[in-house]
Amino acid sequence: MYRQAKYDEPLIFELGKKGRRAHLPPRCDFSRDGIKIPENMRRVTPPDLPELHEGEVMRHYVHLSQMNYCVDTGTYPLGSCTMKYNPKVNETIARSEKMMYLHPNQPVETVQGILEILYELQLALGELAGLPHTTLQPPAGASGEYTGLNLIKAYHQDNGEGQRDEIIAPDSSHGTNPASTVLNGQKLIEIKSNEDGRVDIDALKAAVSNKTAGLMLTNPNTLGIFEKDIIEMSNTVRDAGGLLYYDGANFNAIVGKIRPGDMGYDVLHFNLHKTFSTPHGGGGPGSGAVCCNDILEPYLPVPTINHDKDKDYYYFDYDRPKSIGKVHGYYGNIAVALRAYAYIAALGEEGLKHTSDQAVLTANYAMRKMEKIDGLRLSHTSAIPRKHESVLEATPFLRNHEVSGMDIAKMLISRGVHAPTVYFPLIAHEALMMEPTENENKDRIDQYVKILEEEMEKARQDPDYAHHAPTNTSIGRVDDAYAIRNLTLSWKMIKEKQEE
Amino acid sequence: MGDNYAHPYLANSKKDIDEMLEYLGISSIEELYSDIPDEIRFKGQLKLPHYKSEFELMEAVKSKLSKNITTREVRSFLGGGILDIYMPAIQDELLRRTEFYSAYTPYQAETSQGILQAMFEYQSLICELVGMDVANCSLYDWATGVGEAALMASRITKRTKFVYTAAIAPNREAVLQNYVTGANLELEMVPYVENTGKMDVAKAKAMLDETVAGIYIENPNFFGIIEDELDEIIEDAHAKGVKVVVGTDMNSLALLKPPGEYGADIAIGEGQSIGGGPLNFGGPLLGTLAMKYNKKESRQMPGRIVGQTITQNEGEVAYANTLQTREQHIKRERATSNICTNEALVALSCAIHLTILGPQGYKDTAETMYLSAHHVVKKLEEIGVKRVFDSEFFNSFILDLKIPKDKKQEFTQFMLDRKIFPGIPYSFDGENYDYIVTTSYLLCEKDLDDFAKAIGEWRK
Ligand SMILES: Cc1ncc(COP(=O)(O)O)c(C=O)c1O
Repeated sequence: MYRQAKYDEPLIFELGKKGRRAHLPPRCDFSRDGIKIPENMRRVTPPDLPELHEGEVMRHYVHLSQMNYCVDTGTYPLGSCTMKYNPKVNETIARSEKMMYLHPNQPVETVQGILEILYELQLALGELAGLPHTTLQPPAGASGEYTGLNLIKAYHQDNGEGQRDEIIAPDSSHGTNPASTVLNGQKLIEIKSNEDGRVDIDALKAAVSNKTAGLMLTNPNTLGIFEKDIIEMSNTVRDAGGLLYYDGANFNAIVGKIRPGDMGYDVLHFNLHKTFSTPHGGGGPGSGAVCCNDILEPYLPVPTINHDKDKDYYYFDYDRPKSIGKVHGYYGNIAVALRAYAYIAALGEEGLKHTSDQAVLTANYAMRKMEKIDGLRLSHTSAIPRKHESVLEATPFLRNHEVSGMDIAKMLISRGVHAPTVYFPLIAHEALMMEPTENENKDRIDQYVKILEEEMEKARQDPDYAHHAPTNTSIGRVDDAYAIRNLTLSWKMIKEKQEE
Repeated sequence: MGDNYAHPYLANSKKDIDEMLEYLGISSIEELYSDIPDEIRFKGQLKLPHYKSEFELMEAVKSKLSKNITTREVRSFLGGGILDIYMPAIQDELLRRTEFYSAYTPYQAETSQGILQAMFEYQSLICELVGMDVANCSLYDWATGVGEAALMASRITKRTKFVYTAAIAPNREAVLQNYVTGANLELEMVPYVENTGKMDVAKAKAMLDETVAGIYIENPNFFGIIEDELDEIIEDAHAKGVKVVVGTDMNSLALLKPPGEYGADIAIGEGQSIGGGPLNFGGPLLGTLAMKYNKKESRQMPGRIVGQTITQNEGEVAYANTLQTREQHIKRERATSNICTNEALVALSCAIHLTILGPQGYKDTAETMYLSAHHVVKKLEEIGVKRVFDSEFFNSFILDLKIPKDKKQEFTQFMLDRKIFPGIPYSFDGENYDYIVTTSYLLCEKDLDDFAKAIGEWRK
């Protein structure tokens, strides 16, 4: 039976005692007397940092780690997040001395190795996208969206069509899509999905105009449904003078099977931390590499990484007068890009498309088993296959037993598997968004569905059991409202409350 | 390869696949793609290399990377906001705990208390350094932090002009310029005083008025100089309702007054250099952002924030993402930022590092940086090489070299031959280059002396 570790682990600040040390930095023989900070700028009170010895630091964080579920603990089918295995060799590679100790301002002739790798990664991503020009600068998916939309904006302005400031996106889109649109100073035109969960073509036709900057759409969409009318949609947008943006968060469905460039898209971002297996790190870092076609290439962020074939020399190109500028302090999350490079190299031309095959197969297998459970139904339509993910609705269960999608999620984590993504996309009700990825085998999915069935049966017998889940996790259900009513956001705020 | 394809990254064998196909009542995976119009299916062969075994992969990557020359092979005087640091063995041991790195954002708090508590501790540590009450659990880097802070100041004040120091790193300036185009903020640059390199007090005050949302100051600034004449500017800014944003070198705060103590409303900086991670050629980095708690204004912060709370039934202490109604997954086009995936693992790394250093180690390393830089300056002054500005500085200064554009490559090679990365070239006139020199705590006295000597030789 599953039991997550639980420690009454104090805050690190409560563990220390004056005078303990966990590390000795390199010695410095210069006299401290040489330190002359202008009086008015001198720090008087040192920061309240913890004082522990090395072993105690270790214990604290080991305790914390044991109270954290991860993809190496068990099934983690978080829809839209593509939680696949993070190959360990990539972690080793990323810790190469020849990688870690490179400063971005080093002379370019001293970084030829990493530039070669980044350049090859750009080509590989461009090949998979069907869009040949790549920047690795955006540090996450949302930043990639922002960058891509920025390219579209720059293109229209450059063509004397600055009035094109509307981005059309379906109501099923991820929250970052509208947020990135607004960050770009563009207006969001949200269009409704039809009952099949796809973009309503008529709504799209009604939405386009001479103000359309572009359509932002992930395909398969967030329901895992392929937008089969994509060609008609892309023609509609193109005829109106707009461009097409592909949110690549769902790329795991189509690697080597379909290329967004071939579907009429002009620009996309990848989430290297999803499709290309780089660890999600408990929230980040990621990488949101952007690929685009020739018409958008002039606007890519500076610098681009180029190759002089004659001299076999890699270099940065800053001489890009039409560039949108910079979206990251340097060249992006390079250590993440290196892991993605290693992942692509390990699977190679032969292996990559099998990742999508298996991701799509496991998603459909899990979905067909889950939709048979009394109380769950597939959102929108059951008639068509999904791609790498599916969205189930727990509305019947809520209606009949007063047990919500969130309750189901809590029962699942109580059993040592992770819940699907809950309550996204917003166009589904009581949504459970399920994405097993190619990292789950049939046995694991069978086990997952069995756990789900057992828990839902317990809930049918006793809805209160569901409302009080989880029980086997480090702690019981968290009170989110209390967090807001009694905002405590730092050790400093705790200390102040204690003094009151 | 065909259907028998097996690979360490793929969970299912041919047998698993067949069983699942049978359950679905189909004969091949292809049928699951049958709704996709044929004309957009990719039928060609991907122009990618063949797969590699783990050994081949290691060898191939190693061979490419071997062409790099690192800051551990050459003495690095490169800074600009990030710095070569030493990561104690215990730190990577902890960062390699798969429970941390292979987890997603903690959407299910009950099973993710580890990372949530760690993020709460990270926020707290940042607050301690900068003298603030609340920090978020990371932005991408310092540069995007400047952009986010500008937008935040504008949301709070509902004003659309933002002024910023001319002594800003060019890469941070570039990101700022890009970030504010969407909101149509008007940017204006506050000049520095010619001979001191400090912000021009009179000009700053003249630029501040009721249309200005915020003023961005770097301290120490990009030239390394300690801004010690800010009182009047900050007082004036507050009198006019202008938000004060201060960007700091987070190591300097061991010696310098934290921005929260001299009136900054928002403090940002780069967490890489205080343990966020190795240089990694410039990423991943860690944008820190903190502010004084204010019920209304703190709700304008970008990014995730972890709060302490309790469990519903037992009343036990717990941690959870909070103030989420600022964020994109709830507020969509009205969110305070589009950030979703952040730099959590880098923040964890930073928290572990600060814990390992403790107050003494944090101070020791900062003092070494300071003293190393001042030692180099003394040595250089002995041979008649000066700094561009002679104000007080922390661990960074700009060396008056005036190397003509066409000699720059030669200088780079000259220094490389002596195993030195001399600093970041910076041109005031577009023709000649001075160098921004920064010292970490990893250089020994001989390295510092060699640097001064090499500059002396070049000048001859
Ligand atoms: C569909 C979709 N689009 C965009 C994003 C944003 O990506 P990121 O979190 O890397 O910013 C995500 C992931 O969170 C997503 O699932």
